[in-house]
Amino acid sequence: MAGLTLRNVGKSYGALQIIKGLNLDIHDGEFLVLVGPSGCGKSTLLRMIAGLEDITDGTVAIGAQVVNDLPASKRELSMVFQSYALYPHMTVRKNLAFGLQNFRMPRAEVERRVADAARILQIEPLMDRKPRQLSGGQKQRVAIGRAIVREPKLFLFDEPLSNLDAELRVQMRAELASLYARLGTTMIYVTHDQVEAMTMASRIVVLRSGKIEQVGTPQELYTRPQNLFVAGFIGSPKINKLEAKVTAGGRTANVEGLGDFSLPQLPTTDSALTLCVRPGSLRIGAGDVVGEGVIRLVEYLGNETLLHIALSSGQILLATAGGQAAYRAGQTVPIGFDMADLHYFDASGERVEPQASAFAQQGVSGTH
Amino acid sequence: MKTSVTDLEAAMELDEATRLAHAFMLQRKKRDRNARLLKHAFLIGVSFIMLYPLVWLLSASLKPENEIFGNLDLWPSTFKFDNYSAGWHALPQSFSVFYVNSAIVTVLSVIGNLISCSFAAYAFARLRFTGRNFFFALMMMTLMIPYHVVLIPQYVQFLQLGWVDTYLPLVVPRFLASDTFFIFLMVQFFRQLPRELDEAAMIDGCSPFKIYWAVILPLSLPAMGTAAIFSMIWVWEDFLAPLIYLNDIKSYTVPLALRLFLDQEGQSAYGQMFAMSVLSLVPVVLFFVLFQKFIVRGIATSGMK
Amino acid sequence: MKRFIARNAPGYLFLMPWFIGFFLLALGPILASLYLSFTRYDMVNAPRWIGFDNYTYMFTRDRRFWKALEVTFHYVVLAVPARLIMALGVAMLLDKGLRSIGFYRAIFYLPSLLGASIAIAILWRQLFDANGVVNQTLGYLGVSGPNWLTNPDTSLYTLVILAMWQFGSPMLIFLAGLRGIPRDLYEAAEIDGTPPWRQFTRITLPLLAPVIFFNLVLQTIEAFKTFSSAFIISNGSGAPADSLLFYTVYLFNEAFKFFRMGYASALAWVLLIIIAIFTAIAFFTSKYWVHYENERD
Repeated sequence: MAGLTLRNVGKSYGALQIIKGLNLDIHDGEFLVLVGPSGCGKSTLLRMIAGLEDITDGTVAIGAQVVNDLPASKRELSMVFQSYALYPHMTVRKNLAFGLQNFRMPRAEVERRVADAARILQIEPLMDRKPRQLSGGQKQRVAIGRAIVREPKLFLFDEPLSNLDAELRVQMRAELASLYARLGTTMIYVTHDQVEAMTMASRIVVLRSGKIEQVGTPQELYTRPQNLFVAGFIGSPKINKLEAKVTAGGRTANVEGLGDFSLPQLPTTDSALTLCVRPGSLRIGAGDVVGEGVIRLVEYLGNETLLHIALSSGQILLATAGGQAAYRAGQTVPIGFDMADLHYFDASGERVEPQASAFAQQGVSGTH
Repeated sequence: MKTSVTDLEAAMELDEATRLAHAFMLQRKKRDRNARLLKHAFLIGVSFIMLYPLVWLLSASLKPENEIFGNLDLWPSTFKFDNYSAGWHALPQSFSVFYVNSAIVTVLSVIGNLISCSFAAYAFARLRFTGRNFFFALMMMTLMIPYHVVLIPQYVQFLQLGWVDTYLPLVVPRFLASDTFFIFLMVQFFRQLPRELDEAAMIDGCSPFKIYWAVILPLSLPAMGTAAIFSMIWVWEDFLAPLIYLNDIKSYTVPLALRLFLDQEGQSAYGQMFAMSVLSLVPVVLFFVLFQKFIVRGIATSGMK
Repeated sequence: MKRFIARNAPGYLFLMPWFIGFFLLALGPILASLYLSFTRYDMVNAPRWIGFDNYTYMFTRDRRFWKALEVTFHYVVLAVPARLIMALGVAMLLDKGLRSIGFYRAIFYLPSLLGASIAIAILWRQLFDANGVVNQTLGYLGVSGPNWLTNPDTSLYTLVILAMWQFGSPMLIFLAGLRGIPRDLYEAAEIDGTPPWRQFTRITLPLLAPVIFFNLVLQTIEAFKTFSSAFIISNGSGAPADSLLFYTVYLFNEAFKFFRMGYASALAWVLLIIIAIFTAIAFFTSKYWVHYENERD
């Protein structure tokens, strides 16, 4: 087991920069998830760590050893691919043993490890089948099995669940989590699915255009997104963004369609801010700030109802209501939120934190 | 209750519509069947023309000399199997020698083609190295070069090496991937294999050679089979290179031997010549019948020859 | 530097046989033949530099060179379209509406596979003999056929017919191409009431254009390289009256019968340039008349 250190890591094809000077410390035994929209460089970064792509700038170190020039086979890591990449011409048993035999491991040891992995993943009845005789979920298990028999310092996962149907994905997610709990090995996991990221990660790295937007635990990312991108990317349904004009020298803000309300003391002098509030914090007819909107669409999801509410400005806000709530499209409803639930972002999209005392004051004065 | 009448009318209309559609389909099916029969008749006619020369050759090889010409009957009055036994020994060397020679050249050439071309194809299709695209373009250009352009210098080269009248000029180039067509064919196939397999193998500790040997080759048996079959057939039929490099009748391959019959044409040994012609085609036809699938797929995927 | 070697070594090692072959069997000989084309060389005495003499002789005084060009072009112009039209026609017949086409496909392809063999060339000589099968059949129909092989006006047609007989490989490629045209295009056309001929000109031809182009280039090059059948049918000489003097046959005789290696090399280079020009024309014009479904790579 080992941690991983990235220092100014970059990747470029000619003038095109895919990864731009990343710095990141991955702790020993951590489950780190790299998440971001497609094309953000998350898979490239993983493949650079694996040794499948050249590192054009900076250094990657596994433990204390810089591995830039080390071929993939010598990095003592294993990887699970999105397409599983099982060897089609080998049985499941052979697929598991192939890597170990390449490293000239004694036969007894190979057999022990393969048997262990088969037991852990419950694929013992499949050992003599070829990959084409397996279902998607079974292939996935074999692919994971091939990774764990190596007992590597580091596990890499490249969107391993995205080829599975929804039900299996939930099941495999749980199994991966328990596998991690059992092995405790450092894992780096790439996905574009924020649910996977939120449910499994010890820490999440949000990437965009080859740069790190934020690193943190799922809770940190959800409760304190460092910028507008992270705020919009993490959380489902998507966070509501309100463009606000700062008025009265920073004391109040005006949001078109919602009107004026007072601001806490913010460490910024920008005249335009973005205020974000999660759909779950948007309430019907309650809160520090109250406005009005027309329900355009009601999406009943069972345990809750998702409302699309149009402000008079035309902007659509998302709000969640209980599953029992009876709303109709066309209905005009009062909407509101508490100041404490607001996230503030300055004109450049960076988070600004209300100053604690002022915030408390505002919070108190805001409630009636 | 009052809707029931209109419902019934609607149902009847619907029924009428389906009946019409059904009649239309029947008519169409009939038309299609007639068209199909016509097509089959035409294709059988074409097949007959296509096969006629070959059948004629077979029949001529079994006919007495005086029946070969001036007689359109395909069925010989008497079957003259003598043509085969006499033809086998009609030349200064027996055809056993020629067949052994052809077999040696063919087997060695096929082995050479498979090894050297799959090496090159693996490099072009799966490995990353500086200048790959440039060399690939060069390789594709050599596909266009007529053999006649390199023939003379190659001949001079091999003559100076003392290789003329040996099989080396026929075999050694094949170990040097000179039949670039097969490189192209294999590259096309290798490229279809998922790249993650190589990557998984890399992480599993495989060297590039091990990936070639343990992953790519076992998965490319169809392409290897296609290359082997084509290469076998072409080398077997090859005429120009043996014609230039083999002078001693003891080292002749089958096509060269067949040509000897032509030089003796005056001696009216047509039956024997045709008998040996038929025999020379047997391995090719046999391969074709056995491996038709490989051949058809090979042409369709590589789009060549 | 070390990294460079580590990155590139496997690729170059796997390419090594091809590299050696490329330099010793392709590039080297091509350059050597360019050099030889400026010399007089009989394989006994060392090559003697004579500048452009071979080329000036070839273009100004060598009647047989022009004859060989004429014969070869004549053959290409007749044989390639004939073979391709045959191939496309049969492929389209096979493509639609028939279930078991494997049988026909096999029969139609067999001649292409055998075609290069000497046995077939020998057979062809006999089929077109003065009282061979062809003339006997014509006789039944009341036509007295010419003496195909000794008449300079007809001898080339025996080879064109041989070429047509071998339409199998372009047919297979056309079949694969036709398979690639989505069925629903025809169904949509059918619903719109498009007559079959317009379906052919508006759907099949445009979508098949890349395949047609590919076959055309390939078959043209192949036709220029025709050797064995012409050599056998003309008894190695190009007879009668040089009407079967294919370029390659002429080249072969100059080199290996008369040992005029320098002159033959010049002939070879002219052939190379002709083929290169044809390939280049085909490729440069292709973008105006060939449209590729997905322009990638």
